[in-house]
Amino acid sequence: MLFNKLDYYAVLGVFRDASQEEIKHAYFESAQRLHPDKNVAAGETEIFLEIQKAYEVLSNPKRRVLYDATLPPEIEANSVLKHEVIFSRPNLVKLSEQQLVYVLLEIGARTEKESLPTPPLNLCLVLDRSTSMQGDKMDMVKATAIQLLRSLRPEDVLSIIAFSDYAEVIVPASLNIDNKKQENRIQMIQASGATEIFNGLQAGLKEIRRTLDPSRVNHIILLTDGQTYGDEQACLKLAEEAASMNIGITGMGIGNDWNDIFLDALAGKTGGSSAYISKPKDIQRLLVDKFNTLISTFADDVLLEFKTSEHVQLNYVFRLQPEGGCVVLESPMHLGPILRDTPLQVLFEFLVNSPALAEDVVALLNGSLKASITVRPTPVPPIRFNLSREVQVNPSHEPPPTRMLSALSRLTLYRLQERARVSADQGQYDAASRHLQNLATHLLAQGENSLAKTALLEADNLERMHAWTANGSKDIKYNTRALLIADKKEKPR
Amino acid sequence: MIICSNCKHSNLDGAMFCAECGAQLVGREDLTTQNITTKQFEEANKERPSTSDVYQPFDGSDAWGSLHLLDTGQVLPLSVRNEFTMGRISEGQPIMPDIDLSPYQAYAAGVSRLHGVIKRDGNKIIFMDLGSANGTYINGKRLTPNVEQTLNHGDIVALGKLKMQILVRNS
Repeated sequence: MLFNKLDYYAVLGVFRDASQEEIKHAYFESAQRLHPDKNVAAGETEIFLEIQKAYEVLSNPKRRVLYDATLPPEIEANSVLKHEVIFSRPNLVKLSEQQLVYVLLEIGARTEKESLPTPPLNLCLVLDRSTSMQGDKMDMVKATAIQLLRSLRPEDVLSIIAFSDYAEVIVPASLNIDNKKQENRIQMIQASGATEIFNGLQAGLKEIRRTLDPSRVNHIILLTDGQTYGDEQACLKLAEEAASMNIGITGMGIGNDWNDIFLDALAGKTGGSSAYISKPKDIQRLLVDKFNTLISTFADDVLLEFKTSEHVQLNYVFRLQPEGGCVVLESPMHLGPILRDTPLQVLFEFLVNSPALAEDVVALLNGSLKASITVRPTPVPPIRFNLSREVQVNPSHEPPPTRMLSALSRLTLYRLQERARVSADQGQYDAASRHLQNLATHLLAQGENSLAKTALLEADNLERMHAWTANGSKDIKYNTRALLIADKKEKPR
Repeated sequence: MIICSNCKHSNLDGAMFCAECGAQLVGREDLTTQNITTKQFEEANKERPSTSDVYQPFDGSDAWGSLHLLDTGQVLPLSVRNEFTMGRISEGQPIMPDIDLSPYQAYAAGVSRLHGVIKRDGNKIIFMDLGSANGTYINGKRLTPNVEQTLNHGDIVALGKLKMQILVRNS
């Protein structure tokens, strides 16, 4: 058995030197999540009792000392996860100006992929059925939903919600369902009404909670083709609620009339990301891809709790893989999932202000990484995540690490696109157009000719019409994002 | 500050790609790695100054002055022309310096691509820093960029950390 040596600290998910406060906090958090009143899944109650036992011992200082004495010395290596940190430079330089440091974090499963069980799914499809979905899009969505339903394994749960200005449960979350009957219900979905994402999301969350189980991959896929009006903030609140219950959200937008920034923010709250479906015929491929990704989940989400030091600013955080996407800058930070065969890679950009350089060592960030492993409901011990750099008088001449360079060079294209978006939103169309032209130059150099052409067309359009073409900004955004992992996924299917 | 060689945008220190145009700012030369033994390395360095693209004076007999590189002991005579820009040649550079210092570890010493200019005005030798990244020091004192400074025989000029002695021949 892999996970047999669990001490009380690991059970609560705290460090050995945790304060009483931290222990209390961790206990309340897991107790809330695993309380028998809320959870029906088999085995949960035992875990809950274990957490209580752990808390009873550790919350009492005398008993804690006695217990500590029985523990073997702490082994630093984490038995479940391995992680690696790469810095862009070996040290900071004593300068009177601001400087940047990049940090690349890779965190993955320590065990070989073959020996890990595949987790069962608890998946909810939240489908937009507003009037605009009529025709190709709706037919394709229905066909794909039926295909997914048929491809479920006996242990998987799939619920389906259709929403317009109200939401309707098409397929309820349940383990043994009559496929024939459900397929008929899916076929009956009619397109009509407006798009109100909040309604759909709320119904989806309610449905998925009926079979909520930490040992499953709990995930909502929201499929929409339109803008939602006025309920964005409420949606983001729901996403936060989902994140606190370890439910992931993926947003998929069809066509050109949906709000990609909103869907990114929504999915980002749970460590997920959004995807762009330019043509109805891609719906099937993208949904099935997503389905397969979910099946190979190792950890739903990696949570980073952190503090940066004074004079150090965390500028930008981007997940390079498994699914590229911006990470929302807040603590705790949802970094994203770890797949069985694909570790999580996240790039951090720190801005160091000169007052910080008065010290010999600058602590960039202090925090801890927590992952909830899908096949294992008890918390794994957190990983300490402290980043610091020495300050030296002279710059180092060491070349930057190759992996850092290649990660940044891929990300640079995406960021150029982001800058073009920002400039255009501020009405600086010539700046936006210049960014796109620069982007096109790099794309051409990399042989991405058709995308380069799109970028040039948009640059031209921005200059003359002061607006993006219908698909332009999304085409460029999601295609440059796809380039982030392009060189990894070249192997034929 | 790192000035992008492609678009002249000033990027923060530590940046690796230009925020404006996306050009790579650091580690260009190191993109492909190769294992070189110390011996090969030294040989390569010995050979390179004699290649044709490096500034080559005739025999130095009609030179009005010369640069004595303190680290390697080599002497570069200055002759024929009255003005020489100094720097190091790297790929994709629009303006080439007259004197390429890259064979003398200019990159490691922090010499800019177009670092400074040395010229003769009558009997005076004048040096001017052209806004280099790491500055020019004359006898340990940093020059203000783009301001001319008279040099005397025996002055030590440091381009970044590359030190050289100015030898003036009085005709």
